[in-house]
Amino acid sequence: MDAGLDKVDAIFEKETAIIDGVDISGPWNRMFKERVIWEYTPELIDKVADLPGGESFAWCYQCAKCIPVCPVDMVGNYGPRKLYRMAQTGTDLHKSEELWLCTTCANCLRVCKKVVDMVQIMPAVREQAVLDGNVPEELQKAFEDTAKFGNPLGQGQRKRAAWTKKSDVPVPIMKKHGQPVDVLWYVGSYPSYHPRGIDAALAAARIFNALGIDFGILGPEEKDDGDTQRLAGESGLFEMLAEHNIAMFNKYEWNTLVVTGPHELNAFKKEYPKLGFDRSALHYTQFLVQHLDQLKPMLKHEIKATVTFHDPCYLGRHHGEYDAPRELLRAIPGLELVEMGRCRENGYCCGGGGGGMWLDSFTQNHTTMRLSERRVLEAVAYGAEILAVCCPFEVSRFEDAAKSTGNDQLKVLDILELLDQSMRG
Amino acid sequence: MSEKVLIIGAGPAGLEAARTVADLGYTAVMVEKRDRVGGTPDEFHYAQLTHHFRDSEEAMNELAAAATASANVELLTSSQVAALEGEVGNLTATIQNGSGSKNIEAGAVILATGFQHFDPGRETQYYNYYSFPDVITIADLEGMLKAHQVVRPSTGQPPERVAFIQCVGSRDRQIGNEFCSKVCCGIASKQAIEIRQQLPDSRVMIFYIDMRMYGYWENELYWPAQEQYRVNYVKGLVSEILPKGDRLLVRGEDTTMGRPMEVVLDLVVLSVGMEPSAGTRAMAATLNIEQNKYGFVAAGGSTRIDPVATSRPGIFVVGAASGPADLDDTFSSAGLAAARAIAAIRRAG
Repeated sequence: MDAGLDKVDAIFEKETAIIDGVDISGPWNRMFKERVIWEYTPELIDKVADLPGGESFAWCYQCAKCIPVCPVDMVGNYGPRKLYRMAQTGTDLHKSEELWLCTTCANCLRVCKKVVDMVQIMPAVREQAVLDGNVPEELQKAFEDTAKFGNPLGQGQRKRAAWTKKSDVPVPIMKKHGQPVDVLWYVGSYPSYHPRGIDAALAAARIFNALGIDFGILGPEEKDDGDTQRLAGESGLFEMLAEHNIAMFNKYEWNTLVVTGPHELNAFKKEYPKLGFDRSALHYTQFLVQHLDQLKPMLKHEIKATVTFHDPCYLGRHHGEYDAPRELLRAIPGLELVEMGRCRENGYCCGGGGGGMWLDSFTQNHTTMRLSERRVLEAVAYGAEILAVCCPFEVSRFEDAAKSTGNDQLKVLDILELLDQSMRG
Repeated sequence: MSEKVLIIGAGPAGLEAARTVADLGYTAVMVEKRDRVGGTPDEFHYAQLTHHFRDSEEAMNELAAAATASANVELLTSSQVAALEGEVGNLTATIQNGSGSKNIEAGAVILATGFQHFDPGRETQYYNYYSFPDVITIADLEGMLKAHQVVRPSTGQPPERVAFIQCVGSRDRQIGNEFCSKVCCGIASKQAIEIRQQLPDSRVMIFYIDMRMYGYWENELYWPAQEQYRVNYVKGLVSEILPKGDRLLVRGEDTTMGRPMEVVLDLVVLSVGMEPSAGTRAMAATLNIEQNKYGFVAAGGSTRIDPVATSRPGIFVVGAASGPADLDDTFSSAGLAAARAIAAIRRAG
């Protein structure tokens, strides 16, 4: 017999097998011995590492520090070290379903001694997969909706400012406003269209008005920032959206750009500059904290509740902002802020980043529970009655997760909503 | 009373010790068994030095020239020390060569007899080294790299797929070499880089227990090997090598995958460790100094913390004669031993 081949036929099948009274005789009880690694495939590592942005994939020396902090591994079997080994032993990441599980939360990068950067690697490989047409269906739909409608929710572009009609305070739209503003507020897709996102947008409008902020929004001239689509592999779509938004930003006079969402913050601070945008941006928590002295006396009504705060990956790890949201929460009278074990730099991921927002069904086939469900269970375990968030992806994700895990009592509220409640009672 | 320092062995350690003794204004007599200086790097035609990537021959020639050009250094090649009598400051060595023997007076002795590469054929016929031509050692590979002739010995053709197996003859209770040979992880990584430079189409793997890259070897050897030269490191040692047609099948367990592995290769390089050289063993007996259980000269002296002291006052040990050492270790200990030897002579006087 040829050397080594003795392992190939190592298949076990009992003639009769009854487990817990169930007869599983036949092929049902067939077991294979551990699969032999016949071939190492360093070329599949090179295939990733040779892409611009993919270089650091080849640097992994298998220390495995990334695994315990990988939010996907916590509900499944995942992480950069494992992806490296899979590539080394025959998995073409370009064609693998594993490609779509990473949320680019960057917690692996935080602890990586070799600076293996999945935030660069993932979009690099996904871009190729998109070009090859290897994209999960539901993600493809989000891409198509974004391309067609300017937002991943598939809602009409002209209706982007429809939410302002519900506002009991003025929300100036730049095109009609006809004059410079101090603050240009980039609302974002979910706060513009999603019912729970609109709640946060309305709250923001009231807070801005109460503070006497001279602000305006782009309304129908605003399109999705596209950064999450870029991280999910659609760099062409991203560039198209970015060029549009940059043109709109440049069309009007303003001093400060304020965003509702951390993903937009990432787009405008880190990615748009590569396309010529030379202004900065602030997340709303960073902006409001600058007005805290003025805001504090307005927060008259107590919110008597135990509240925990979920750090958005793209506000915390990606932009280093941990304090502004907490300062706002602490300014609310009656509110008791408790920290979850995984918070700040080690905050757990909601599962929405890097395209995860549009891959929930796909991801479910690879995980024991949703990342958002895992997070909700942690919030409940720490005694939270309210889970406070400040990323528009999160309200709907966590509300669904609270329901699906039987924790309806847990309220999920944007910090904007909490501030607004405290102001208005 | 003699102010001469007798240096036994003219490899890197002996040459550096002689140069330092001479530079400090004292006289060194170097006794070398071979008919030329340069030691193991010369004998085994080392290509580039680990970790500096300097051409070995060029660097050794510079060192030899610096040592032997000095009027304060006397070189006796094809010679061996047959006996050593007396006390520190007042020693008499009997030197033998092909034509007879003579006595040399010395105040102190520096032993620089180095190591030998572990012989993978010893006792166990490890990995079929003596039966499969395409199983070679890192020492064999040095010569191939130097000649820019990295080939499968069985065919004379360049290999497409090469793998290193680490810790051959080291960290092994059965063989008796329980120690880590310290340099092989770095040397394998250096050689992997050189193979990839000389044969860009080749694939190189390294099977290891754990990579031991102390200090700058991590960033000067391991990281470039993996990141720039795409050398594949797989944790788990190969247990057996079997013939597979005209190629080799290596079998082991990939421990991070928890799966068996069976990989076909063209050339397997055994990262053999260090053992005390025959000269080190013989000289330790002749000079009547203690050896450790592995046969290296026991260093440490009465304080146990002096790396160049032996059990006999006035006799110092340098380089790999006292245990696995890289060139940095060797140069450090050579300089220290030169200073200690001169200090011992001055105190004795």
